[in-house]
Amino acid sequence: MNATVLAFLVLYYVVVLGIGVWTMRRRETDDLEGYLLGGREVGPLVTALTLQSTSMSGYMFLGAGSLAYTTGYWSLWFAAGDIGGGVLNLSIIGRRMRKLSQMMGALTSIEYLEARYPSPLTRLIAASLSVFLLAFYALAQFIAGGKGMALVTGLDYEWALLIALAIITTYTLLGGYLAVAYTDFFQSLIMLVGVVWILGAALVHVGGLTAANHTLAEIDPTILSIWGTGLGFEGQWGVVAGAVLVFSAGYMGWPHVVTRHMAMKRPATARLAGAYATVWNLLFVSAPYLVGILAILILPNLDDPELAIFAVAHTLLPSAVTGIVMAAIMAAIMSTADSLLLQTGSIASRDLYERFINPRASEQQILRVSRACVLVIGIIGYLVALVEPPAVAFVVIFATSVLGSAFAPAFISAVWWKKANTPGAIVSMVAGAATSVFWELAGLAVTTTLAPVTAGLAASTVAIVVVSLATQRSSPVPAHILAAMEETARVGPIPETLMATSDFALRPEAEEVESMLRDTEEET
Amino acid sequence: MFGLPQSTFLLVLGFPLFWILYTIAFLLLTKHWENDGDEP
Repeated sequence: MNATVLAFLVLYYVVVLGIGVWTMRRRETDDLEGYLLGGREVGPLVTALTLQSTSMSGYMFLGAGSLAYTTGYWSLWFAAGDIGGGVLNLSIIGRRMRKLSQMMGALTSIEYLEARYPSPLTRLIAASLSVFLLAFYALAQFIAGGKGMALVTGLDYEWALLIALAIITTYTLLGGYLAVAYTDFFQSLIMLVGVVWILGAALVHVGGLTAANHTLAEIDPTILSIWGTGLGFEGQWGVVAGAVLVFSAGYMGWPHVVTRHMAMKRPATARLAGAYATVWNLLFVSAPYLVGILAILILPNLDDPELAIFAVAHTLLPSAVTGIVMAAIMAAIMSTADSLLLQTGSIASRDLYERFINPRASEQQILRVSRACVLVIGIIGYLVALVEPPAVAFVVIFATSVLGSAFAPAFISAVWWKKANTPGAIVSMVAGAATSVFWELAGLAVTTTLAPVTAGLAASTVAIVVVSLATQRSSPVPAHILAAMEETARVGPIPETLMATSDFALRPEAEEVESMLRDTEEET
Repeated sequence: MFGLPQSTFLLVLGFPLFWILYTIAFLLLTKHWENDGDEP
């Protein structure tokens, strides 16, 4: 273990924990809105970078490199969607979701879904799906973090896993959403520096991109093809669509990502955040794939393609820079893991505990339960990652495909389509999740050449349209929700009467009481 | 260009270009969003 590499990693962890302590001392984390949404005070730059670094997990340094190493330029289909994922998300649902969630007084993305599609069943299905899938997704990040730490420090996997998990859990517990958002901001910058540096070194080593492509063509011209090495995906547009959609439209269904909209300082924050997201993505997203492709030339006999980027860094860079790259890899893993942990804790405490177990819980009780959940998930994650660690890549692709398929149409329709009603949303969530799970487990992607996320998104979209239209008479969208949606579409300050006061769901009753009081006053 | 087949070149450069144009259009079409706020 090189002392310089270790010094950079220690410095990185100190900064990350320092941000956690700093945010804890800010009063915004004292109440529930402060802990879960940073008091809705997050500006455009931090919004953009927390959204991007949360979306880009350890997959970008492990999975993307591996995919590019084994499939060549075909892997760039994933980057093609990913580059626009942030701006697409912010432009389609950002401003409206920020506004509607505030009018509804929703603090978690699942609570928001129930407020828009009123039914305990909406919350129960959405919260259960989210808690399971997000915890599963977090588990993959813990394992990747442990493996990364073990690789860098030379420690045993058990100890490396414990250290990685202890740091992530500690700063999530300390500062809640603000700690997560500001550490994400710092981590996204580290990720960018690390990946650009390693891409530059790799390009210099191979004599530039054009020379590298000529050499690759001599080895196997299909490496340069859009259909993958050996033309393995030739004509499979369904798989290509899945690759483009999973990290673009799919993002709009990830509860831990769409929460970023709800925490923005103002609805208009989405505008600049979208521009910042595109700039960061243009610089970052394609780089890991290109390094993976160049690794074919630099390290042609790599045993484990998942280590392609790490191995290239180790081979080409001096120790100090390797330290930065290693910190970048850990940053990618940790910035996703902390968000997942916080979201799972938030949803478990507010959407399951408070909603179905203890409806009279005080804010402080919910906060304590949320923090306890983060701790419990961390401990369970540690034990599972220690005893029977599943394959990281499978878990990430599975969890994100199901999340995107289940929730994207429900979140988009929530702000754009007035006819989207409760039965439509419930059937859409179930159909999307069930279809993508079934597609994956039955291996239908191979026989149909359609990716699980493509099939899942198609099923959930058709379901919300057909069921909503078919049940308009029996389940019309309540008037107070239609009024809030109309206000959401309008650009301007939210009228006082539409701001969330106590409970959005009780607004019709409150209006009725108000009208009765007015009538009584007039009579007297 | 860059030693790549035309289709791959389009994939590598075309999509980023599309997202740049999308972002510029988004910024231009949402100038009026700046009036959107929380305070009545």
